[in-house]
Amino acid sequence: MPPSDHPAGPGPASADPAGSTPVVGTPTALSVSAGPNTSGPLTADSPANGEPLLVATGVRKTYRAGRGLGGRSRVHAVDGVDLTVSAGETLGVVGESGCGKSTLARLLVGLERPDSGQVRYAGLDVGTARGVRRRELRRAVQMVFQDPVASLNPRMPILDVVAEPLDVHRLARGATARRDRVAELLEMVGLSPDMMRRFPHEFSGGQRQRIGIARALATEPRVVVCDEPVSALDVSVQAQVVNLLAELQQRLGIALVFIAHDLGVVRHVSHRVAVMYLGRLAELGPAATVYQDPAHPYTRALLGSVPVRHPRERGRERIVLAGDPPSPVDPPSGCRFHTRCPIAQDVCGRDAPALLVPESDTPTAAGQRLAACHFAGTP
Amino acid sequence: MTSGVESQRRSPDADLPAALRVRSLDVTFTGRRGTVPAVRGVDLDIAAGEVLVLLGESGSGKSVTARAVMGLLDPGGVRVSSEQIRVAGHDLTSADPEQVRKLRGQTMALVFQDALSALNPVLSIGDQLGEVFRLHRGLSRRAARTEAAELLRLVGIPAPDRRVRDYPHQFSGGMRQRILIAMAVALGPRLLIADEPTTALDVTVQAQILQLVDRLRRELGMGVLLITHDLGVAAEIADRVAVMYAGRIVETGTVAEVLDGPAHPYTAALLRSVPDLAQPGDRLRPIPGSPPNLLALPTGCAFHPRCDRVTEECTVTRPERRPLAVPGRTAACHHAEEAVDAPV
Repeated sequence: MPPSDHPAGPGPASADPAGSTPVVGTPTALSVSAGPNTSGPLTADSPANGEPLLVATGVRKTYRAGRGLGGRSRVHAVDGVDLTVSAGETLGVVGESGCGKSTLARLLVGLERPDSGQVRYAGLDVGTARGVRRRELRRAVQMVFQDPVASLNPRMPILDVVAEPLDVHRLARGATARRDRVAELLEMVGLSPDMMRRFPHEFSGGQRQRIGIARALATEPRVVVCDEPVSALDVSVQAQVVNLLAELQQRLGIALVFIAHDLGVVRHVSHRVAVMYLGRLAELGPAATVYQDPAHPYTRALLGSVPVRHPRERGRERIVLAGDPPSPVDPPSGCRFHTRCPIAQDVCGRDAPALLVPESDTPTAAGQRLAACHFAGTP
Repeated sequence: MTSGVESQRRSPDADLPAALRVRSLDVTFTGRRGTVPAVRGVDLDIAAGEVLVLLGESGSGKSVTARAVMGLLDPGGVRVSSEQIRVAGHDLTSADPEQVRKLRGQTMALVFQDALSALNPVLSIGDQLGEVFRLHRGLSRRAARTEAAELLRLVGIPAPDRRVRDYPHQFSGGMRQRILIAMAVALGPRLLIADEPTTALDVTVQAQILQLVDRLRRELGMGVLLITHDLGVAAEIADRVAVMYAGRIVETGTVAEVLDGPAHPYTAALLRSVPDLAQPGDRLRPIPGSPPNLLALPTGCAFHPRCDRVTEECTVTRPERRPLAVPGRTAACHHAEEAVDAPV
């Protein structure tokens, strides 16, 4: 960690370094981002082969809130989200707790059906597909969960944990083929195949998360949605899993949706970033643009809350948001952020801003950023 | 070992007795699977008004250290021994449990990570905060409630006179953490121990809570022992840092010293493994292997199987923590001098 002389925030140097970043560690094709690539940087929002695999349009999901008076109140978890995820791309999703990140993850993989709107994978509606198509979807779109303890059956040896998707989708014929495939998957995530007879409790947190990843990869998915995959891990182990995910993504060319509250980790792995606030997208765009030159006041505040890297930065100018996010049961009218926004005007309480290219942005080839703010780009 | 120098160098209130002084603290758990050396040879010095951040991963012994200082470890199955534990001049080593109980709240206070389970769900906030005053100061219910409202104001809760009647579930996570802090500082303790106070919170709320702790230690002149695994929290609020690994302190120094030139390879590795917002794109350099198992610690230095500076000596002889050239800096590494000078 070279203590940077630059203050965090909008500042240092150019956009994301393409071939200029020295790749630390193994200089193979597996190295994360910034690898020299004939067709240009992988870091922009148009990675290698940018066909959209997963497309969400106007997705909405509400839940009934508790058994309160009349039981009528509803939690507006996700309220009209549009986004796409392309092959070979990592889309990061950040936001405070309760902003709908996890619900969005579950909608994307079809664990929840949206109240309205659609999530489509290769033309199939993820929420309503049935029969053969549903199996096809389940195979193609996989999920890695946050809690590596709760998501593994404690009574199954790792062999069976990882082989379960193979059995369900009949991807391995015969015990030998099954075992060989599991061994291959375990090796892929950096675990020794000798461990396949062991049970989940015999593994450390980081190893269990690797097992969860191996299981997700068993069906050779095209899209993997990771919901807080490293939050439960110790700092020293987090980096191992982050690197593993980035390597696998590059090697297999999968589309990765990486949901986390840790802004540093998301910046590190993502090509594009979606910033969520109370069920809606506040900002969406190439990671470098969103982090270095945030257009939405919420993105700026979120980045301003990240702890400093060094005590000498303590005095830096920053917006510290007052209070907590409002309840998603009864979200504010208009722009949902207006109750905490430092630049809110009357209009913000009335009209919900659309997700648009900010006027101050100049069009770039690297991909456009979108922000949902009446005053996007206003400092 | 170094408290005299450090308190003079750092403390805004050098005349006051040190908020905390701990020497050679050992904590051992005994269970069916063997004895666990949870804490070994821990020394801590915190001057009045100073923030010491105790940094470490899960299982490194941070929280056990805090609970041992507070006298909160359940006597069954645990052995605590120390040469000295002094809190604001009070000797806890020789004190009986009743004396320690009186010091808790009055002289030293603890803020837990999980604010929801630390509050009683069926008592109003005013009753819970007021209980402190009724027990320790003998105030009436009404007077205690007024004091409670005053405390809520101190920690920045809007409309305190009204909210004092509310129950814990009516507050958000950040507000509950503020209430816990209010409860802890109610009697003006000389030492505040905060165990991962912001870990369960969003970054936006974390920033608020750290600002609050920083303000209170200035206004009230408390020493603060803040326990965290987050380097950012240390950079944000610490005066000094002590890094723990496998039950021992492996490095101490001012926060700038430790971040600029970590003297222990573990600290250096920890710094490298965290993504840098200002310099994205580089491959993260994780620490290989897993955190140590306290039931089967490696021989010699507990970090040696994961260390990039490991030599023969490290596998055989455990390095004692020793002072480095810079006053106040200590490290437990055979190669500390090389490590300090190496670029991070």
